[in-house]
Amino acid sequence: MVLDKTKLRRSLICWVALSPLLLVIIFPFAVMFFTAVKPPEEVFTYPARWWPSHFRWANFADMWQAAKFGVALKNSLIVSLSSTLLAIAVSIPAAYALARFPFRGKGFYRQFLLVTQMLSPILLVLGLFRLASMIPYGDGNLVDSHIGVIVAYAAFNIAFAVWMMSSYFATIPRDLEESAWLEGCGKIRAVFKVFLPLAVPAMVVTAIFTFINAWNEFAVVYTLIRSEENKTLTVQITDLVAGRYTVEWHLVMAATLAATLPVSILFAWLQRFLVKGLALGAVK
Amino acid sequence: MTQSASSRPMMPWLLIMPSFALALFIISYPFFNIVFQSVHDVSRFGMIRDFNGLTNFLKVMADPVFMDVLRRTLIWTVSVVGGTVLVSVPVALILHQDFYGRGIARTVVMLPWSVSLTMTAIVWRWAFNDEYGMVNVTLQKLGIISGPIHWLATAEWAFPVEIMVGILVSVPFTVTIFLGGLSSVPGDIYEAARIDGATPWQMFRKLTLPLLRPFINMAIVLNVIYVFNSFPIIWVMTQGGPSNSTHILVTYLYELGFRLGRPGEAAAISLVMLSMLMIFTGLYIRMQPKESGEA
Amino acid sequence: MEVRKTKQLTKMALALTAACVTSIMAPMAHADTVRVTVAYYSDQTEPYFKKMAEAFTKANPGTDIKIEMVNWDTLQQKLQTDISGGSNADLAIIGTRWLLDFVKDDVAEPLDGYMDKSFKNRFIGAFLAPGQISGKTYGLPIAASARALYYNKEQLAKAGFPNGPKTWADVIAASKKIKAAGSYGFGLQGKEIETDVYWYYGLWTNGGEVVGKDGKAAFASPAGIKAATLYKSMIDQGLTQPGVTNYSREDVQNLFKQGRVSMAISAPFLAKQIKKEAPNLQYGIAPIPMGTTNATYAVTDSMVMFKNSKVKKSAWKFLDYLFTKAPRVAFTSGEGFLPTTKEEATAPQFADPDTKAFVALLPHARFAPTVTGWEDTAKAVSDAMQAVYLGKAKPADALKKAAEDANKALGQ
Repeated sequence: MVLDKTKLRRSLICWVALSPLLLVIIFPFAVMFFTAVKPPEEVFTYPARWWPSHFRWANFADMWQAAKFGVALKNSLIVSLSSTLLAIAVSIPAAYALARFPFRGKGFYRQFLLVTQMLSPILLVLGLFRLASMIPYGDGNLVDSHIGVIVAYAAFNIAFAVWMMSSYFATIPRDLEESAWLEGCGKIRAVFKVFLPLAVPAMVVTAIFTFINAWNEFAVVYTLIRSEENKTLTVQITDLVAGRYTVEWHLVMAATLAATLPVSILFAWLQRFLVKGLALGAVK
Repeated sequence: MTQSASSRPMMPWLLIMPSFALALFIISYPFFNIVFQSVHDVSRFGMIRDFNGLTNFLKVMADPVFMDVLRRTLIWTVSVVGGTVLVSVPVALILHQDFYGRGIARTVVMLPWSVSLTMTAIVWRWAFNDEYGMVNVTLQKLGIISGPIHWLATAEWAFPVEIMVGILVSVPFTVTIFLGGLSSVPGDIYEAARIDGATPWQMFRKLTLPLLRPFINMAIVLNVIYVFNSFPIIWVMTQGGPSNSTHILVTYLYELGFRLGRPGEAAAISLVMLSMLMIFTGLYIRMQPKESGEA
Repeated sequence: MEVRKTKQLTKMALALTAACVTSIMAPMAHADTVRVTVAYYSDQTEPYFKKMAEAFTKANPGTDIKIEMVNWDTLQQKLQTDISGGSNADLAIIGTRWLLDFVKDDVAEPLDGYMDKSFKNRFIGAFLAPGQISGKTYGLPIAASARALYYNKEQLAKAGFPNGPKTWADVIAASKKIKAAGSYGFGLQGKEIETDVYWYYGLWTNGGEVVGKDGKAAFASPAGIKAATLYKSMIDQGLTQPGVTNYSREDVQNLFKQGRVSMAISAPFLAKQIKKEAPNLQYGIAPIPMGTTNATYAVTDSMVMFKNSKVKKSAWKFLDYLFTKAPRVAFTSGEGFLPTTKEEATAPQFADPDTKAFVALLPHARFAPTVTGWEDTAKAVSDAMQAVYLGKAKPADALKKAAEDANKALGQ
C-alpha cells in the first residue's frame, strides 16, 4: 500500500488541530498515572515533580487492599450488568412501539421520558431511600441490597435507551416484517425472527451507554448501599477521599486509574460502533 | 393478520407499559417526597414537623444568596453548554475526516466519558493543588508563570476552571452525537457543491450546519438538562466556596439540605429547578421546527 | 465397665440435649443484631471496631454487632436518609453539635436509665457534659480532642523562639524572620470544615465569644474585629502561606508536615500523622497563642442510641463494653485522641509529652455550645472570613453581616 500524500497532509493538519484538546484530555490521565506510581513519601515533595524517583507498582497492590477493590469490582459488574439488561429489556418493546405505531399518547410518553431526565439523582436520593426502606425484601428491606440500585439505574436509563433504539428501529424497513407475515409467519414471531436480529447493533450500543452510566453513578448507590461487602467501585474510591484527616493520593489515583481502565478499553474497542449507533439513534 | 396497527390501540400501550411503569415507579415517590417536604417544616434529620405552606419557598426567595446563585447557575449552564457546542462542532468535523490514526483520535476524545464525574473532579482538584498540583508545576516548568497560581482560592479563577472541566466532560457525548449526524450526511452533495465552486466556509454554512441543526438542538437540550443538574464538579473542587462565590443551585441545595439541616428549603429549590428546566425545554422545543423537538 | 458405660450414656445424653438446645437457640442467636454507624477517623477505625465487635460477640454469644462505616463528609446526609427512612442503626457516632437536633426530633434514647452512678463516674466530667441536654444524658463521649499550636522546632529556634511563640505578637515576630528565611510562618486554614474554628482561636484568645449568654451571635465584637484584622494583616504581610482560601485543614497540616509552614493549629492526631509520615520533623506543641487570655477549642463526638432500636439491651451492653478501660485505651491511642474516661487516662500510652501538653490545655477549653443553628453560624462565619481573607469585605462589615445571618438560625 502506498501512502496517500494528500491524506498524509490532511492527517497532519487534523492532528495538529486536535492537539490542544487531546493534551487537555490526556492531562488528568497523566496526573493519575504519575501520582499512582509515586512512592508515598514523594507525593508531597516540594517543589513537586512529574517523574517519580522510581516507579512503585506496589501502590496498586496496596490500593487493592485499601479500596477492597476485588469485592467492589464484582459489585460494580453485577449492578451495571443487571441494570443494563433490565433497562434494555423494558426499553425494546417501548422503542418498537414508538418506531412502528402511531398512537395517542406518544407525545406524552416522549415528554414523560424527558422529564425523568430532569430530576437530578442528587435530588431524588432521599425519596429513593425511603422507597427502598418501605419495600420488604428478605428479612429486611431493599436498603443495602443490589436490587434496589439495579432497578433505580434501569429506570433512570430508560429514557436514553428508548430514544436511541426507537430511532434506530425506525430505519429498519417495515417490508421485511410484512413479507414475513405473507409467508405465514405470525406477527410476534416475525418480530423475533426478522426484526430483532436486525436491531442487535442498536441494542449493543445502547447497552454500552447504560453500562457506563451505571458504572460511573455515585449518588444513588452511595445512599442505598451501606455495608462494605455491597459497595461498588465509585463508592469505595470516593470513600478514600471524602472527609478524611489524611488522603493517600497515590492510592486514590491508582484506584481511579484501575476503575477507569476497563471502560476505556471498552471504548477503544467499540468506538466505531458507538458513532454509528448514535448516528441512527440521535434523530429519527 | 392484515389488520393495521392503529386499529389496535391497546398494542402500543402494552409495549410501552413495562418501561413506563418502571420509570414511574422509581420517579414518582421521590418526586412526591420532594413536593411534600417543600411545603413542610422538616428537621435536620428529616423529621416532618408542620405543614407550612409556601414558607420554604418564600424563605429561599428572600435569601440574597439564592438570587446570586441563580444568576451564577445561568452563567454556568450557558458557558458550559455553549463552550461544549463550540468545541464539539469543529472537533466532530475533524474526526469526520478520513485521516491516519482517526480511530485513536476518536478513542482519546471519548476517554473523559469513561471516568465518573466524581473521580474526574477529584483528579482535577488534585491537579490544581497550589503546591503539589501538576498544573502549576507544568506551567512553571514551561516558564508561563513565575510562581504558583492559587487556582481554587478565588472565584475569579476557580469558576472558570470549573467551567473548563465541565466543558471537557461534556465534549465526548456531544462530539459523538455530532459525528453521528455527520455520518448521515450524504457525501455527494459536497461533491456537487465543490463543482459549483463553493468555498469550504460556504459549504459549512450552507450545507453542514443546516444538516447538523437537529443534532445541535438535541445536544443543547440534553446538555442543558445534565449541566444544570451537574453536582460533582463544583462540589468536589470548591464546595461552592470561597464565600458562596462558586455555588450553583444544585450544590447550594445540597448544602442547605444536608449540611445546614434545612431539607424543606432544599426541596423547594429542587422544585424551582425542575420548573425552570421544564419551561426551558418547553420553550426551546416550541421554537424549533417540529422534527427536531422530539429528541 | 459399668461405670464407663454410664459415663458414655451420660455423655451422649448431654450431647443430645446440647444439640436440642442449640437448635432451639439457633434462630434466636441471630435475632439480636446491633447495628452501629461508625464515623471514619483513620484507617485504624474499622479494624478497631471490627475487633471490638468480635471480642464482644465472643463474650456474649447470641448478639451480633454489625459495623457500618461512614465518612464524616457524608455522615449527616447518611443519618438524615437513614432516620427519615426509619431504617437507622441502633447506635451511631455523631458530632455532639447535632445532639440537640436528635433530641428535638425525639430520635435519641436518654441513657440515664441504663447508667448507674459508677458508670457515670467513669467519665472525665468536662467531656460528658456536652452530651447532656436539660439534665439528661443522650451521648457518651467516644472521641475527644483539643487544639494546640504545633511549631517546627528548628525554624522557630532560628527565629528566636525555641519554645514556641507565647502570644500573637510572638507569632508575627517569628513569622517575619521565617519569611525572610524563605518559608511561610503561620499556616492559616481558609476553606471547608472548621474554617470558622480557625478564626475562633483568635477570637477567644482576644476575649471574645461566639455565642453570647442571650443565645445570640456575639462574635461581631471588638475582639472579633481584632482577631479578623490580625489574620488579615498576617496574610497581607505574607506571613501565612499564600492563597489561604484554598487551604483546608488537611492542606495546612500537609504544609506543616513538609516543613513549608512553621506553625499550625491542630489536634492531637497531627502528632500521630507526623510520627508516621514525617518522622524526621522536630515539632513542639504549645498553647494557642495568647492575645489577652488563654483559650483553646475542645470537641467531642458522641455515641448515641436510637429511640426506635429494638435491641436496646444488647446495644447498651455493647456501649458498656466499649467504655471499659482496655477498649478505650486501644481506641484513643490508636486514633490519637484524648482520653475521655478516668481509667484510660492513667494508661501509660497517655503519659507521653504530646498528650500531656494537650491535656494541660483543657482547663481553658471552649466546647461548641449545644444550640440550634450552630452549623449555620459556622457557615456564616466561614463565609465572612473567606471574604475578609480575600480582601472582599472589611472585618467589621463581614462580621456584622455574619452575625445577622447566624441570628436567623440561632436558638430557633
